[in-house]
Amino acid sequence: MTTQAPAFTLDYVKTIGIVSAAFSGRGFANPYDAAISADGRIFVLNRCDPDRAPAIRVGICNLDEDYLGEFGGGSGSGDGQFVWPVGLALDSGERAYVTDEYLHRVTTFDSSGAFVAKWDAHGSGEGQLNGPAGIAVDADDNVYVVDQHNNRVQKFSRDGEYILQWGKAGDGEAEFNLPWGIGVDALGHVYVADWRNDRIQKFTAVGEFVASYGASGDGDGQFHRPSSVAVDVEGYIYVADWGNERVQVLGPDGSFQTKLRGQATLSKWAYEYYAVNPEEKRERDRAQLVPELPEHLRAPYHVSSQTEPYFWGPVSVSVDKHQRLYVVEANRHRFQVYQKR
Amino acid sequence: MGDRDLELMAHLMRRAGFGATRDELERYLAQGYEATVDELLSPGDDQSMPDDLIRRYHTDQAEARMLPSAGATWIYRMVTTRSPLDEKVALFWHGLFATGYTKLNQARTLLNQVDMFRRCGLEKFPALLVELSQDPAMIIWLDNQDNHKDAINENYGRELLELFSMGIGNYTEQDIKECSRAFTGWTLKNAEFMAMRASKDSIWPYGRIAWHFEYRADDHDHGEKTFLGEAGNFNGQDIIEIIVRQEATAEFVCRRLFQYFASDEVDGEGRETIQGMKDTYFDSGYEIRSVLRTLFNSDYFKSHRARYSRVKGPVELMVGAIRMAGSYQTPTFGAQTLAAQALYMGQGLLQPPTVEGWHEGMEWIDSGSLVERVNFAARQLGDVQNPGVRSIIARLAREGEGVLTAEQLVGRCLDLMGPISVSEGTASSLVALAERDGDLDLKEHHPGDDAERRVGNMLRLIASTKEYQLA
Repeated sequence: MTTQAPAFTLDYVKTIGIVSAAFSGRGFANPYDAAISADGRIFVLNRCDPDRAPAIRVGICNLDEDYLGEFGGGSGSGDGQFVWPVGLALDSGERAYVTDEYLHRVTTFDSSGAFVAKWDAHGSGEGQLNGPAGIAVDADDNVYVVDQHNNRVQKFSRDGEYILQWGKAGDGEAEFNLPWGIGVDALGHVYVADWRNDRIQKFTAVGEFVASYGASGDGDGQFHRPSSVAVDVEGYIYVADWGNERVQVLGPDGSFQTKLRGQATLSKWAYEYYAVNPEEKRERDRAQLVPELPEHLRAPYHVSSQTEPYFWGPVSVSVDKHQRLYVVEANRHRFQVYQKR
Repeated sequence: MGDRDLELMAHLMRRAGFGATRDELERYLAQGYEATVDELLSPGDDQSMPDDLIRRYHTDQAEARMLPSAGATWIYRMVTTRSPLDEKVALFWHGLFATGYTKLNQARTLLNQVDMFRRCGLEKFPALLVELSQDPAMIIWLDNQDNHKDAINENYGRELLELFSMGIGNYTEQDIKECSRAFTGWTLKNAEFMAMRASKDSIWPYGRIAWHFEYRADDHDHGEKTFLGEAGNFNGQDIIEIIVRQEATAEFVCRRLFQYFASDEVDGEGRETIQGMKDTYFDSGYEIRSVLRTLFNSDYFKSHRARYSRVKGPVELMVGAIRMAGSYQTPTFGAQTLAAQALYMGQGLLQPPTVEGWHEGMEWIDSGSLVERVNFAARQLGDVQNPGVRSIIARLAREGEGVLTAEQLVGRCLDLMGPISVSEGTASSLVALAERDGDLDLKEHHPGDDAERRVGNMLRLIASTKEYQLA
């Protein structure tokens, strides 16, 4: 007798966010990454741009859409400031790590959001950084940093002491082309979103190559500029397929499981906006928000620019201990939450 | 190759592009003038900065919500493209079919309009006019979403005839009404919602939603119309077919192309050239590519009277200086300030002052804008760390014994920045300034040393000459 494995399913839960135009308070500004604390708070890194410096910061909210505060940021090179922040991770003590690819820096903050330290030796030597992008922390609080322009991964202690590195430029095994995101699974394997090679590479905790998943394209299991990777407790691999404006899920063996195009609905904060702008809500309710598009606008980027519920700029995926998936969308100032069934 | 060929090729590239470095000019010269014209008119892969790189590092440009960010996206393209005429043509149509951000609050859709100019700008004029009439930014800009079968709005119909194709005096008020009737039902998807968001400048809750065309047959006036003496149940496409057949349209389009690409002023020989362009317009079935081929290969265009007879537009000037300097070849922090610079010089990309576009020629120049123009070009070309400037220095150092007299320094810099022909007065002033520091010794130059800075200073001085401000 054969039994068929149950199909992999993700159920849409909700959307959290609204574009931020204020110097502080709820809302996001081109968010680039998120991290979930043990108690379920959601830390969101707002990349924004230096013309709107106060919005460059880390905002904190929860699944009930309460906005809990913010820390770090403003545009500049001072302690705790950012210019082009990319990645965010939390360790077991809730210390936050933020990379900045312009300042070539990792900045750490304590659980109150106070500045702790920065690692910003610029270069290509051991422990030096050139355009740090994705960042991840393993169960032992080792910190992995994607050292993008050096096309390598570096492993540090939680205090920034260099441990080891691997990778070089290229498209072979353990070679990278402008890598971006990074994730660690429950067994300590490390996954890297090898952005311009359109693939995910898997390594051991000491950088030995294990596997490579995907190839260039828009088919199932193919990627176009993947930006982020996360792995759940059962080993399922979630990939932000950024250039295809979608999320894909692979099985522990790398086999294609499912793909998501996004299905955002109004967040609590969006409802609050419409409560005081009812005329706009009336027109919105009459509108067709998932339209058929003319041929010249059918590239994924354009489809997403015209289709509000779809992912637009899905830069980051994170999974929490309840097997909820959080997809951060830079161009829509929000994240969508899904639940693994 | 002769100096005359080089000067002619440099002239072509200033007009059909944004100028050219010496390496580029040598490549074009090797293939010849007419072949270069053909390549410019039918380019292959433009090899401009890839969108993925722009969007990864400039998240503001990925979203294209803010106007300066959208302007920077276009400038990146102009700066890095290997198909400069495509961008020049897009800039031409952007000025002629001027559509501005202020009323739209929709930068992404404006960039889509520029994409359309790039896609259709050299094709047949009726196809371009149909695309223009279906362009959602244009529809909101001229209120065609309010043009209904039982209550016409004449805004688009009027400007289509007056500013976009025939020019005033070639049609009647009744023609405008009939034209407008034909474009009823030409609107954008979710027009009411999008128009409300535009008028409120709403970015809520999740940023802008870009626009696309929708034809509403139930809101189209299907009745008979009489337009320019012809009668029928015309829809918009039929009206455009009638418009492009008119002598006035040929004159309008060819004259505007002539003034943009050949000379601000039209003299007797210029009128003859325009007549040749009009003949091509009709013979080719209204194809812009063919019309421009006729212009670029005309005796007038190649003659000295066409040289330096146009004032560079601000964006032309900026992009030319950046391309010469070799900066902004990769995503660069602060790129969005480029769009602001163009605005200070009087040409805010994606925000023309009115539906009539910019007033060009000498009107680009006033005391304020001239200072901005000179300062910008001088900053780019005076920075000896910029790769294009380093390339000029390397060429100078290779020539002769690596030692240049003041006269040689001026002559070679004018040559490598163009060649640019300057008046005797300008040349002698430049030489007098260069002589203050004696001969220039580049035998053992190092990045940023005094010798290199002298070259940078000379390039900066040349950028401030009258001749550099002209195309």
